[in-house]
Amino acid sequence: MVLPLLIVVLLACAALAGWALWFVVRDRAVILRQLIGAAVVEALVVVQAVVAGVLMATRDHPVDGPLFWGYVATALVVLPVAAIWAFAERTKWSSVVLAVAALTVGFLDWRLWQIWGAA
Amino acid sequence: MSPAAPGTAPAPGRPARRTGSGFGRLLVTVYGILAFAAIGRSSYELATKFSEAPVAYSLSTLSAVVYVVATVALAKGGPRWRVVAWVTVGFEAVGVLAVGAASVVSPDVFGETTVWSGFGQGYGYVPLVLPFVGLWWLWRTRPRGAGSDDDATPTAPTAPEPTEPVAPDPEVR
Repeated sequence: MVLPLLIVVLLACAALAGWALWFVVRDRAVILRQLIGAAVVEALVVVQAVVAGVLMATRDHPVDGPLFWGYVATALVVLPVAAIWAFAERTKWSSVVLAVAALTVGFLDWRLWQIWGAA
Repeated sequence: MSPAAPGTAPAPGRPARRTGSGFGRLLVTVYGILAFAAIGRSSYELATKFSEAPVAYSLSTLSAVVYVVATVALAKGGPRWRVVAWVTVGFEAVGVLAVGAASVVSPDVFGETTVWSGFGQGYGYVPLVLPFVGLWWLWRTRPRGAGSDDDATPTAPTAPEPTEPVAPDPEVR
Protein backbone atom coordinates (compact mmCIF):
# COMPACT_ATOMS: atom_id res chain seq x y z
CA MET A 1 0.00 0.00 0.00
CA VAL A 2 1.13 3.55 -0.55
CA LEU A 3 0.35 6.48 1.69
CA PRO A 4 -0.98 8.93 -0.95
CA LEU A 5 -3.53 6.37 -2.11
CA LEU A 6 -4.58 5.68 1.47
CA ILE A 7 -5.18 9.38 2.02
CA VAL A 8 -7.18 9.65 -1.21
CA VAL A 9 -9.37 6.71 -0.22
CA LEU A 10 -9.92 8.03 3.30
CA LEU A 11 -10.83 11.47 1.99
CA ALA A 12 -13.20 9.96 -0.56
CA CYS A 13 -14.91 7.91 2.16
CA ALA A 14 -15.18 10.99 4.38
CA ALA A 15 -16.62 13.03 1.52
CA LEU A 16 -19.21 10.38 0.69
CA ALA A 17 -20.15 10.02 4.36
CA GLY A 18 -20.39 13.79 4.73
CA TRP A 19 -22.58 14.06 1.66
CA ALA A 20 -24.88 11.33 2.97
CA LEU A 21 -25.04 12.87 6.45
CA TRP A 22 -25.97 16.20 4.90
CA PHE A 23 -28.87 14.39 3.28
CA VAL A 24 -29.83 12.92 6.65
CA VAL A 25 -30.01 16.42 8.10
CA ARG A 26 -32.18 17.51 5.19
CA ASP A 27 -34.37 14.42 5.57
CA ARG A 28 -33.65 13.13 2.07
CA ALA A 29 -33.02 9.68 0.64
CA VAL A 30 -29.98 8.61 -1.34
CA ILE A 31 -29.92 9.88 -4.93
CA LEU A 32 -28.36 8.38 -8.03
CA ARG A 33 -25.42 10.79 -8.02
CA GLN A 34 -24.45 9.50 -4.58
CA LEU A 35 -24.42 5.98 -5.95
CA ILE A 36 -22.01 7.18 -8.61
CA GLY A 37 -19.94 8.69 -5.81
CA ALA A 38 -19.99 5.32 -4.05
CA ALA A 39 -18.83 3.68 -7.28
CA VAL A 40 -15.89 6.08 -7.41
CA VAL A 41 -14.92 5.18 -3.85
CA GLU A 42 -15.25 1.51 -4.74
CA ALA A 43 -13.03 1.99 -7.79
CA LEU A 44 -10.39 3.68 -5.63
CA VAL A 45 -10.40 0.72 -3.24
CA VAL A 46 -9.98 -1.64 -6.20
CA VAL A 47 -7.03 0.40 -7.46
CA GLN A 48 -5.55 0.28 -3.98
CA ALA A 49 -5.96 -3.49 -3.84
CA VAL A 50 -4.29 -3.91 -7.23
CA VAL A 51 -1.39 -1.69 -6.17
CA ALA A 52 -1.02 -3.68 -2.95
CA GLY A 53 -1.07 -6.92 -4.91
CA VAL A 54 1.62 -5.70 -7.30
CA LEU A 55 3.78 -4.47 -4.43
CA MET A 56 3.41 -7.80 -2.65
CA ALA A 57 4.32 -9.74 -5.77
CA THR A 58 7.31 -7.64 -6.73
CA ARG A 59 8.84 -6.44 -3.49
CA ASP A 60 8.65 -9.35 -1.10
CA HIS A 61 6.77 -7.26 1.43
CA PRO A 62 6.00 -9.46 4.44
CA VAL A 63 2.26 -9.30 5.10
CA ASP A 64 -0.21 -11.66 6.73
CA GLY A 65 -1.80 -12.49 3.37
CA PRO A 66 -5.07 -14.16 4.42
CA LEU A 67 -5.78 -11.41 6.94
CA PHE A 68 -4.98 -8.64 4.48
CA TRP A 69 -7.02 -10.05 1.62
CA GLY A 70 -9.87 -10.88 3.97
CA TYR A 71 -10.07 -7.20 4.85
CA VAL A 72 -9.80 -6.24 1.18
CA ALA A 73 -12.69 -8.56 0.34
CA THR A 74 -14.84 -7.10 3.12
CA ALA A 75 -14.00 -3.54 2.10
CA LEU A 76 -14.97 -4.31 -1.49
CA VAL A 77 -18.27 -5.98 -0.59
CA VAL A 78 -19.63 -3.49 1.96
CA LEU A 79 -20.24 -0.49 -0.27
CA PRO A 80 -22.05 -2.10 -3.25
CA VAL A 81 -24.33 -4.15 -1.01
CA ALA A 82 -25.05 -1.22 1.29
CA ALA A 83 -25.66 1.10 -1.68
CA ILE A 84 -28.32 -1.21 -3.11
CA TRP A 85 -29.82 -1.73 0.32
CA ALA A 86 -29.86 2.03 0.94
CA PHE A 87 -31.29 2.93 -2.44
CA ALA A 88 -34.27 0.63 -1.94
CA GLU A 89 -35.31 2.69 1.09
CA ARG A 90 -36.85 6.06 0.33
CA THR A 91 -36.56 7.77 3.69
CA LYS A 92 -33.69 9.54 5.39
CA TRP A 93 -32.58 6.17 6.80
CA SER A 94 -31.41 5.44 3.30
CA SER A 95 -28.82 8.21 3.71
CA VAL A 96 -27.87 6.99 7.19
CA VAL A 97 -27.11 3.57 5.71
CA LEU A 98 -24.88 5.05 3.01
CA ALA A 99 -23.03 7.17 5.57
CA VAL A 100 -22.41 4.17 7.82
CA ALA A 101 -21.18 2.14 4.86
CA ALA A 102 -18.78 4.89 3.75
CA LEU A 103 -17.39 5.24 7.27
CA THR A 104 -17.01 1.48 7.52
CA VAL A 105 -15.00 1.33 4.29
CA GLY A 106 -12.81 4.15 5.60
CA PHE A 107 -12.26 2.24 8.83
CA LEU A 108 -11.47 -1.00 6.99
CA ASP A 109 -9.01 0.88 4.82
CA TRP A 110 -7.28 2.21 7.90
CA ARG A 111 -7.09 -1.34 9.28
CA LEU A 112 -5.58 -2.43 5.96
CA TRP A 113 -2.88 0.17 6.40
CA GLN A 114 -2.15 -1.14 9.92
CA ILE A 115 -2.02 -4.74 8.75
CA TRP A 116 0.27 -3.73 5.90
CA GLY A 117 2.67 -1.99 8.24
CA ALA A 118 2.43 -4.30 11.22
CA ALA A 119 3.82 -7.34 9.45
CA MET B 1 -43.59 -21.84 15.26
CA SER B 2 -46.31 -19.29 14.96
CA PRO B 3 -49.76 -20.70 15.61
CA ALA B 4 -51.39 -18.39 13.09
CA ALA B 5 -51.51 -18.88 9.35
CA PRO B 6 -48.33 -17.81 7.60
CA GLY B 7 -47.95 -14.33 6.18
CA THR B 8 -50.64 -14.57 3.53
CA ALA B 9 -53.49 -13.69 5.86
CA PRO B 10 -52.70 -10.61 7.92
CA ALA B 11 -54.16 -10.63 11.38
CA PRO B 12 -56.85 -8.08 12.10
CA GLY B 13 -55.80 -5.02 14.01
CA ARG B 14 -52.53 -3.28 13.55
CA PRO B 15 -50.21 -5.22 11.31
CA ALA B 16 -46.55 -5.66 12.11
CA ARG B 17 -44.29 -2.99 10.74
CA ARG B 18 -41.54 -4.14 8.48
CA THR B 19 -38.40 -4.90 10.48
CA GLY B 20 -36.18 -3.91 7.56
CA SER B 21 -37.59 -0.46 6.85
CA GLY B 22 -37.01 2.95 8.34
CA PHE B 23 -34.67 2.66 11.31
CA GLY B 24 -34.63 -1.06 10.58
CA ARG B 25 -32.68 -0.32 7.38
CA LEU B 26 -29.84 0.94 9.53
CA LEU B 27 -30.16 -1.94 11.97
CA VAL B 28 -29.92 -4.50 9.18
CA THR B 29 -26.94 -2.63 7.72
CA VAL B 30 -25.01 -2.69 10.96
CA TYR B 31 -25.94 -6.34 11.49
CA GLY B 32 -24.76 -7.11 7.99
CA ILE B 33 -21.42 -5.39 8.54
CA LEU B 34 -20.93 -7.21 11.82
CA ALA B 35 -21.88 -10.47 10.11
CA PHE B 36 -19.24 -9.82 7.45
CA ALA B 37 -16.65 -8.96 10.06
CA ALA B 38 -17.47 -12.09 12.05
CA ILE B 39 -17.38 -14.33 8.97
CA GLY B 40 -14.08 -12.84 7.89
CA ARG B 41 -12.62 -13.32 11.31
CA SER B 42 -13.82 -16.88 11.80
CA SER B 43 -12.83 -18.09 8.34
CA TYR B 44 -9.40 -16.58 8.88
CA GLU B 45 -9.11 -18.34 12.24
CA LEU B 46 -10.44 -21.64 10.93
CA ALA B 47 -8.12 -21.56 7.94
CA THR B 48 -4.92 -20.55 9.67
CA LYS B 49 -4.92 -21.48 13.33
CA PHE B 50 -7.96 -23.47 14.43
CA SER B 51 -5.94 -25.95 16.50
CA GLU B 52 -4.49 -23.18 18.69
CA ALA B 53 -7.78 -22.42 20.41
CA PRO B 54 -10.61 -24.65 19.15
CA VAL B 55 -13.12 -23.41 21.70
CA ALA B 56 -12.61 -19.73 20.97
CA TYR B 57 -12.62 -20.23 17.24
CA SER B 58 -15.67 -22.47 17.30
CA LEU B 59 -17.40 -19.77 19.28
CA SER B 60 -16.37 -17.19 16.68
CA THR B 61 -17.81 -19.36 13.94
CA LEU B 62 -21.04 -19.92 15.82
CA SER B 63 -21.47 -16.20 16.45
CA ALA B 64 -20.74 -15.47 12.78
CA VAL B 65 -23.45 -17.88 11.63
CA VAL B 66 -25.93 -16.42 14.10
CA TYR B 67 -25.17 -12.88 12.93
CA VAL B 68 -25.79 -13.91 9.33
CA VAL B 69 -29.12 -15.55 10.17
CA ALA B 70 -30.16 -12.56 12.30
CA THR B 71 -29.32 -10.18 9.46
CA VAL B 72 -31.41 -12.15 6.97
CA ALA B 73 -34.28 -12.55 9.44
CA LEU B 74 -34.40 -8.82 10.21
CA ALA B 75 -34.21 -7.95 6.54
CA LYS B 76 -37.02 -10.34 5.57
CA GLY B 77 -39.21 -9.68 8.58
CA GLY B 78 -42.19 -11.93 7.76
CA PRO B 79 -44.06 -13.63 10.62
CA ARG B 80 -41.73 -16.62 10.67
CA TRP B 81 -38.57 -14.61 10.06
CA ARG B 82 -39.65 -12.48 12.99
CA VAL B 83 -39.52 -15.52 15.24
CA VAL B 84 -36.11 -16.41 13.83
CA ALA B 85 -34.99 -12.85 14.52
CA TRP B 86 -36.18 -13.02 18.15
CA VAL B 87 -34.27 -16.24 18.69
CA THR B 88 -31.02 -15.22 16.98
CA VAL B 89 -30.91 -11.68 18.36
CA GLY B 90 -31.77 -13.03 21.80
CA PHE B 91 -29.02 -15.61 21.45
CA GLU B 92 -26.54 -12.85 20.71
CA ALA B 93 -27.65 -10.84 23.71
CA VAL B 94 -27.11 -13.86 25.95
CA GLY B 95 -23.91 -14.80 24.16
CA VAL B 96 -22.20 -11.45 24.48
CA LEU B 97 -23.16 -11.16 28.15
CA ALA B 98 -22.11 -14.72 29.01
CA VAL B 99 -18.87 -14.76 27.03
CA GLY B 100 -18.11 -11.18 27.99
CA ALA B 101 -18.53 -11.96 31.69
CA ALA B 102 -16.54 -15.18 31.39
CA SER B 103 -13.71 -13.38 29.62
CA VAL B 104 -13.54 -10.75 32.32
CA VAL B 105 -13.63 -13.23 35.21
CA SER B 106 -11.14 -15.59 33.61
CA PRO B 107 -9.35 -14.10 30.61
CA ASP B 108 -7.82 -17.41 29.54
CA VAL B 109 -11.00 -19.44 29.62
CA PHE B 110 -11.33 -19.69 25.84
CA GLY B 111 -7.62 -19.66 25.07
CA GLU B 112 -8.02 -16.83 22.62
CA THR B 113 -10.26 -13.84 22.18
CA THR B 114 -13.60 -14.04 20.37
CA VAL B 115 -15.99 -11.50 18.91
CA TRP B 116 -17.74 -11.45 22.27
CA SER B 117 -14.69 -11.25 24.53
CA GLY B 118 -14.64 -8.21 26.80
CA PHE B 119 -18.27 -7.59 25.82
CA GLY B 120 -17.33 -6.97 22.21
CA GLN B 121 -14.52 -4.56 23.07
CA GLY B 122 -12.58 -5.38 19.92
CA TYR B 123 -15.53 -4.22 17.83
CA GLY B 124 -16.25 -0.96 19.58
CA TYR B 125 -18.83 -2.67 21.82
CA VAL B 126 -21.12 -2.92 18.81
CA PRO B 127 -21.76 -6.63 19.59
CA LEU B 128 -22.94 -5.59 23.06
CA VAL B 129 -25.25 -2.78 22.03
CA LEU B 130 -26.66 -4.25 18.82
CA PRO B 131 -28.69 -7.20 20.16
CA PHE B 132 -30.47 -5.00 22.65
CA VAL B 133 -31.28 -2.44 20.00
CA GLY B 134 -32.47 -5.36 17.88
CA LEU B 135 -34.73 -6.70 20.63
CA TRP B 136 -36.13 -3.23 21.21
CA TRP B 137 -36.81 -2.85 17.48
CA LEU B 138 -38.50 -6.25 17.22
CA TRP B 139 -40.65 -5.29 20.19
CA ARG B 140 -41.49 -1.93 18.67
CA THR B 141 -42.45 -3.32 15.29
CA ARG B 142 -44.35 -6.28 16.71
CA PRO B 143 -47.76 -7.10 15.37
CA ARG B 144 -50.51 -6.08 17.70
CA GLY B 145 -54.22 -5.53 17.84
CA ALA B 146 -57.31 -7.64 18.28
CA GLY B 147 -56.92 -11.28 17.43
CA SER B 148 -53.38 -10.96 16.19
CA ASP B 149 -51.05 -13.78 17.02
CA ASP B 150 -48.53 -11.43 18.62
CA ASP B 151 -45.02 -12.60 19.14
CA ALA B 152 -44.49 -16.27 19.54
CA THR B 153 -41.69 -15.96 22.06
CA PRO B 154 -41.82 -15.68 25.81
CA THR B 155 -39.45 -12.70 25.71
CA ALA B 156 -42.24 -10.59 24.29
CA PRO B 157 -45.42 -11.09 26.23
CA THR B 158 -47.85 -8.72 24.62
CA ALA B 159 -50.61 -7.63 26.89
CA PRO B 160 -53.90 -8.02 25.06
CA GLU B 161 -54.91 -4.59 23.95
CA PRO B 162 -58.46 -3.38 23.99
CA THR B 163 -60.32 -4.34 20.88
CA GLU B 164 -59.77 -1.75 18.24
CA PRO B 165 -61.64 -1.20 15.02
CA VAL B 166 -60.69 -3.76 12.45
CA ALA B 167 -60.03 -1.11 9.82
CA PRO B 168 -56.35 -0.57 9.15
CA ASP B 169 -54.78 2.15 11.16
CA PRO B 170 -54.50 5.18 8.89
CA GLU B 171 -51.30 6.33 10.51
CA VAL B 172 -49.42 3.20 9.50
CA ARG B 173 -46.87 4.05 6.90
